[in-house]
Amino acid sequence: MTTAAKRVRGVEHDILQMPQASDVSPYYEPQGNEVAIFEAAYRKRLPIMLKGPTGCGKTRFLEHMAAELKRPLVTVSCHEDLTSSDLVGRFLIEGAETVWQDGPLTRAVKSGAICYLDEIVEARTDSTVVIHALTDHRRKLSIEKKGQEIDAHEDFLLVISYNPGYQTVLKDLKQSTKQRFIAINFDFPNEETERKIIANEVPGMSPDIVNKLVAAGRKARLLKDHGLEEATSTRALVYAANMMSAGLDPVTACQVAMINPLTDDIELAEAMLEIIRAHFQA
Amino acid sequence: MTAQSGATEKALESIAALSGRSHREALALLPDLQRHGAQTVEAWLTAARRLLEYDIDAGGAFVQGTREAERISETVMPWTAQALRFLQWPAATAAIDGFMKNLPRAFGTLGHAGEPRWAEIGLRWYGRHAESGRLYFNTPVLDLAGRQGIAGIEQLCDPAEEMFERRKLMLATYLPGAVRVRNLLGAQAIVPWATRGADIMQGGRVRGEAYFRLESEESLSALIDHLPGFRMADRNHLLGLLLEIWFERRFDLKESAWSPEKGRPFVETDGRSLFLPAVMPDREEAILAVLHSAGRISFGSFERAALDTIFRETGLDLPDSGAISWAPLYERYGEDLLRFQLLFDLCDDLRIDCRIQRVVPNYLSRLHAAGVEHRVRLLDARPYYEAALISVRGALALLRGDAAGVPADFDPRLKPLLEPAATLADAFRIANDLYAGSILAPVIDAEVFRSAYLPGRAPNAARAVHAQEGEDQPQQTKAGADADQEKSEGEDSQEDEQNAESGGDQSAAQEKMVASDSKSSGASRQTLQRTQTPDGNEKGAEKGKPYPEWDYREGRYKRNWCWVQEKPLADSNATEADRLMAQYAMALKRLKKAIQAQKPTRMAPKVRQFDGDDIDLNAAVTYAAERIAGMSPEPSIYRRREIRQRDVAVTLLADMSTSIMQHLPEGGGRLVDRIRAGVLLFAESMEEVGDAYSIAGFASKYRDNVSYFTIKEFDQPYTPAVRSVIGGMSGRLATRMGAAIRHATARFAGVQCGRRLLLLLSDGRPEDYDDGGDRRYLHEDTRMAVKEAVACGIHPYCITVDTMANQYLPQIFGPGHYMVLDHINSLPNKLPEIYLRLRR
Repeated sequence: MTTAAKRVRGVEHDILQMPQASDVSPYYEPQGNEVAIFEAAYRKRLPIMLKGPTGCGKTRFLEHMAAELKRPLVTVSCHEDLTSSDLVGRFLIEGAETVWQDGPLTRAVKSGAICYLDEIVEARTDSTVVIHALTDHRRKLSIEKKGQEIDAHEDFLLVISYNPGYQTVLKDLKQSTKQRFIAINFDFPNEETERKIIANEVPGMSPDIVNKLVAAGRKARLLKDHGLEEATSTRALVYAANMMSAGLDPVTACQVAMINPLTDDIELAEAMLEIIRAHFQA
Repeated sequence: MTAQSGATEKALESIAALSGRSHREALALLPDLQRHGAQTVEAWLTAARRLLEYDIDAGGAFVQGTREAERISETVMPWTAQALRFLQWPAATAAIDGFMKNLPRAFGTLGHAGEPRWAEIGLRWYGRHAESGRLYFNTPVLDLAGRQGIAGIEQLCDPAEEMFERRKLMLATYLPGAVRVRNLLGAQAIVPWATRGADIMQGGRVRGEAYFRLESEESLSALIDHLPGFRMADRNHLLGLLLEIWFERRFDLKESAWSPEKGRPFVETDGRSLFLPAVMPDREEAILAVLHSAGRISFGSFERAALDTIFRETGLDLPDSGAISWAPLYERYGEDLLRFQLLFDLCDDLRIDCRIQRVVPNYLSRLHAAGVEHRVRLLDARPYYEAALISVRGALALLRGDAAGVPADFDPRLKPLLEPAATLADAFRIANDLYAGSILAPVIDAEVFRSAYLPGRAPNAARAVHAQEGEDQPQQTKAGADADQEKSEGEDSQEDEQNAESGGDQSAAQEKMVASDSKSSGASRQTLQRTQTPDGNEKGAEKGKPYPEWDYREGRYKRNWCWVQEKPLADSNATEADRLMAQYAMALKRLKKAIQAQKPTRMAPKVRQFDGDDIDLNAAVTYAAERIAGMSPEPSIYRRREIRQRDVAVTLLADMSTSIMQHLPEGGGRLVDRIRAGVLLFAESMEEVGDAYSIAGFASKYRDNVSYFTIKEFDQPYTPAVRSVIGGMSGRLATRMGAAIRHATARFAGVQCGRRLLLLLSDGRPEDYDDGGDRRYLHEDTRMAVKEAVACGIHPYCITVDTMANQYLPQIFGPGHYMVLDHINSLPNKLPEIYLRLRR
């Protein structure tokens, strides 16, 4: 399984990597009709919002779609200090003069890539506004500092991810921003899909263990309303499976992959451990 | 009898003159006594005479008790000498009577070595406190010894010696309770229990005595706190979580009225709620028990249809509404009802546990493992226990599809119960079938009955139950349903009360048997109150909100220990407020100016940064110029804007104990004047600053009476009325700081602010009337309260005018989190300043 990003390791390469014909798309197990929706939106070049909890496969889905559509993918992980300059570009000093350097968004707009703004709520509101003109019929990016604007490449597509319920009170997307997107809801995959995913991501797991792991994960998710900010993700289950396949005993593997990262609350941890013990300690 | 010496004759005569009855008894005793020699007889007669002279009844008791004492001890002189020692005190008749009655037992159980020790302890106490001695000698020796001979008596009385010397606690107060405490919890529990009692005794005699009689809520909770095992109440949350995980619904968990004297603790259910005892033997049993009881609720042990079938088959009518008692169902088994109950429970429990197994992986194997581990101790209960265990093992094998693993003695009649479709009625039928041919011995003893249950299982008929309606419940209009709901809730609370109080719905026969349980009904009512009060009913509102308190001596929290009542401050004094405003007008003006200067009105751009949103043009020009000039400047040529969010909320919590009413040593009024001024200036400054703030005060008297005076809420505007209330602040009672901090912390709950500050204004160390003079106790508790606040994202900071505070504040608040004001007069000005400094 090779993907554009994985071809050369340990060497820096440009963020813009055109997928090669020989590339295989990353593994993705569809949960519903999200693939069809994405393709339709892409045909009409409508910006897309991926909604769903952490670790349910949003990023993987996008990687998969980008590879399928043979478009390069530019990912920007948003954080609190992310400013519009970080997206659009800035002046740098080189030698005795100033040089403009395009930000990742500008480069994607120019080259017709898929630009993915991961966890956009984390970014400051002023930086989310720069995408407004890009996400409606204008499809333009204005570079204020240079007094210029760019019409987006016809293959360009903006995708954002958004985790509802995550620090909802303090951070939320503005309605005016939200309404510019086609939104696809993600949730943790159903039991069967989740089993397939784990079996695929960690080859060689016995189906019995996979079944127990998925069952335990589903039970653990019920604790979400009891002070867990995030529920046990599919990713955590995959990690747990990986730890098991690396030789760790199942209870410990689950503990380090599914409990410890998720909570510091002793009671919650105990409850989760109880779930795992029930499943794995016959 | 012919050879009676003259002395004997004389003695007998004088006895006859005192009491004819004693004379007759003495005459009858003489042949036996003569075995010990003439001298002994003489001495005994002299003693009898002296005792009779002292008091007719005392002498009578002596003579009367002699036969048994002599028979068991085969001596006369030692105990005669002991009895005579009572003569040094007046009115010791009751003690002598007790002494003589207990003598045979004392010799019998303690031996010749132990008896003198027993007598010695009692006589010593009699010397100190007649009532203690009397009670001691009237307490059966067996109770005192607790099956451990004289060592048991010493073990019981040694703490009393210590308590007497240190706290002047009398044996009479302590003894009856101590005997029960030792029976319930073992000897090691006596000392902590008694120490706590002595503390309470200092707070008030009536409360203390109730504690020692084990009648007060305090002593019950102290007892339960010392019970070994898994504390259900502390782990309520975890158990609730587990139930929600496995059954995917919430269950109502309540505390049952169980107390240690009632024997084995069970989790019980009435079809709606789970009633948890305070303590279960261990975690595994506790988890199995809540899962099992929740399973009974979830899997149809209370389904109306099934109950109806059972009742009809028995020829009874199921009541249409209200709680249903199991008693009529069992009546026809008469004396043998416990045996049937055990069999019925075995069947239905098996059915339930198989259903649970389908939801909770490995539940049956856990149950089986726990069952094997906890093998029952009572021989009579064993056949039932083993039968249940075998049924579980068989079910486990069958559900696994492992027919070969089914034990040979597994009764095939139980098989249908493993099916998910099996109902309570099936269990009833099969139980009757088993009962008809049962070779198990009848059970009549309640303890045997209780011991026969596997860990986690419980007598199903322990409570009257609420039938669950089936799915086909008729749809009602919303309004109708609501009204119904209300009505049934009203009923509920009554029923629950009854249910909790009686500890269950036992059939008449059983009630007789467990009558010993109800001896502690006073105690159970106490527990009941404790169960009920937190429910937010009227009483609860009066009592306030409970908080735990940290007990460093035991290294754990005492649950629901402190009760905080929130109330508005009744006094207000507008004149005083105005006067203070005028007095501090200049200071206020200065403060406001300082605040305005500090207030950032626009986003401050940071210049000469290594990265940023914009080029700092000045820096860039300089940079370029320097480069061209051949220097190598650092490329710090960006500027960046930073938004300083004024995201602060603060609570000012003022200590309003009596001590603030004292006059200042340097003159010029009282401490409370400075506190009022400080709080006033603080409020005025806060209005200028614009941060969210609240003001409160606290005072306390005993742990259950902590007042939290709200002066200004976060969302309450600062009005002249608030100002007047500040003007009317005054001191009362003591300083239970920990509880106040916990309450203030809880009050922050609704405040959406990144930085939350709890500013404590104090004039002394935390103390209260009931801290037993142990300063460290409330210190440690306050320290823990501060830690809890920090864990909630609140920064506590203490400002104090107690110049000795350096000795204790660093431990409580941590270095750098307090300030000692050496000059009380500086308080009004300093208070707002400190806040402004803190929030920077």
